[in-house]
Amino acid sequence: MVKKINQNEFNSMDKSGVSVIDFNATWCGPCKMLAPVLEELSEDMAGKVNFYAVDTDENPELASQFGIMNIPAVVLLKDGQKVDMNVGFVPKPALADFINKNL
Amino acid sequence: MERFDIAVIGTGPAGLEAAITAKVRNKTVLLLGQKTSSDKVSKAHQIQNYLGLPNVTGQDMSKAFLDHAKEMGVEITDDKVNAVYSMGDYFALQCHGGDYEAKSVILAAGMSAMKPFPGEMENLGRGVSYCATCDAALYKGRTATIVAYSPEDEEEAEFLAERAASVTYLPQYDYNGSLGGNITVVPKVKPQSIEMTDGQAVLKTDVDTYSADGIFILRAQVAPSQLVPGLTMDGNHVAVDRNMATNIAGLYACGDITGTPYQYIKAAGEGNVAALSAVSYLAELAKK
Repeated sequence: MVKKINQNEFNSMDKSGVSVIDFNATWCGPCKMLAPVLEELSEDMAGKVNFYAVDTDENPELASQFGIMNIPAVVLLKDGQKVDMNVGFVPKPALADFINKNL
Repeated sequence: MERFDIAVIGTGPAGLEAAITAKVRNKTVLLLGQKTSSDKVSKAHQIQNYLGLPNVTGQDMSKAFLDHAKEMGVEITDDKVNAVYSMGDYFALQCHGGDYEAKSVILAAGMSAMKPFPGEMENLGRGVSYCATCDAALYKGRTATIVAYSPEDEEEAEFLAERAASVTYLPQYDYNGSLGGNITVVPKVKPQSIEMTDGQAVLKTDVDTYSADGIFILRAQVAPSQLVPGLTMDGNHVAVDRNMATNIAGLYACGDITGTPYQYIKAAGEGNVAALSAVSYLAELAKK
């Protein structure tokens, strides 16, 4: 499951392990298409990787904190530290590779 | 939403042949492109090596292609494809006129003369973007430069300007619009290169240099790897194997988009192969 979070929830949540944050917006076409792909990956990788989604329109400061200039952007965190980022839609196998190579 | 067996993008010889072959094999086909086939065909002076059509003019060839397609019950949907998303067991096609779904896709969109600016691809997603409406939320209080190629882009500029602190708009067409407010229109300058300096996207032109938080390039035609995110390229062309298969399962490419020689008969032949490969793929898909 991909959990939708806001700025406050991000600040207070447990960030240990590997987390994937999908920065999106409701009016962004590629973001809408990427959402179900992330949903599937979150099932495939359950227990290994935590999946979150952030609406950049509602949480501009969180987006700016991670240097997001274009969306959809998938940020990969290890223990709360940004280690990699992928911008734009990618098919499921490519996104799985992107996450796996950082595990 | 109806999910077509095969969506064919492009109405030149590759796309038309692919659609005809798919029809022969009883597949449902969505053919996207121009009702007039391809300008590259109709504007050709004379073609001497197309089997069965000796010394044909471009216009006559175009007519022969369209008549053949019509006879086979192939209809052309006049629409422009913005993006093709590989969703696993199907594809989502976002077009100007609406959205479509297909189980497989044949890319026959030809070669565009479009060349990215130096620095454009390197900074894509890191200050350079093709979708102003997507990224508008991130530009609250920030500045942006837009390189625009059509009057339709003015709407996107206005959407972005509602959120951004200021927008510099560089129309690459005869501008007759009425953009105002925090949008500065600078017509008749030619962009030359892009670089990122201290977090600023710097656009060099033949006249001046424009610095902003981000640059949006709104071209009518995008590179195949932008049209289909995740697509593997071989230089300027789509990488394919002998079956016209790309790196994405269910996605095939044919015609000029796969590389030289840029010949009509080669394009048509590849269209035939691509359609038959898509038919095999559909048979495999149905077994799952």
